[in-house]
Amino acid sequence: MSLRTQGTTLFTAILVLVATTVVLQLWLLTFSMEALLRGHYSTLIPAAIASTVLLAINFGLLRYVFRFDREAQRNLER
Amino acid sequence: MSPETESKMDGCVACGQTACSQRDFPIEWEGDHYVSRREMVKFLTLGSFLLAIANWATAFGKRFVRRDSTQVKLLGPAKDLEQNGYMLFRYPTAESPCIAIRTPEGRFVAYSQVCTHLSCAVVYDKAENQIVCPCHRGVFDVNQGTPVAGPPTRSLPRVKLELRDDQFYATGWKA
Repeated sequence: MSLRTQGTTLFTAILVLVATTVVLQLWLLTFSMEALLRGHYSTLIPAAIASTVLLAINFGLLRYVFRFDREAQRNLER
Repeated sequence: MSPETESKMDGCVACGQTACSQRDFPIEWEGDHYVSRREMVKFLTLGSFLLAIANWATAFGKRFVRRDSTQVKLLGPAKDLEQNGYMLFRYPTAESPCIAIRTPEGRFVAYSQVCTHLSCAVVYDKAENQIVCPCHRGVFDVNQGTPVAGPPTRSLPRVKLELRDDQFYATGWKA
């Protein structure tokens, strides 16, 4: 499999993963708002922490995309 | 279509000038609409960052919506509230309408009058012995304030009542 085909498959998979985590974060936000209005304050901090963990995963994936591009560019230059 | 109209739409064939629409909106739409996977990942990560901030803002927002007023407010003589009747009052501020109800069983209960669906004022339905929101036909249980029908999903915030020397006092919010 060529590097280009590998990259296309990989980035599609990363895109799907990132989109899924963003949807999860959206759900967490609506859940938090509902909990806030209900007065269930104990769930707010864990929801915010979970959202931050999902953000860290997204940043990790984005960093991987940049690194993959850099390495592909380096291979082309050789 | 006349040749004149055609030249206005597609550009003049003779002189090669661009069409009016292209001169007015000189945007290359093909490049404008193309979003690569990398750009989409970047965009979604930015969205993810904003959502995380919004989540933390919600977590700290509890300081602004917490109902922990312990203010004591005189509502009036208990005899004014007849059995199966209700009275309206404001608690803890003049902007917070509430409703006190004496149920057919003789119990005294009080709730915020603001519907938890879309903030309409709820009223007491004596005949059915339930609290009703007239805007979207939301119905709340009179004893607990829990939603029993219609669009509301959250209970009405409950006001603590105290009876001292035959006088009614609102003393705070029940969790």
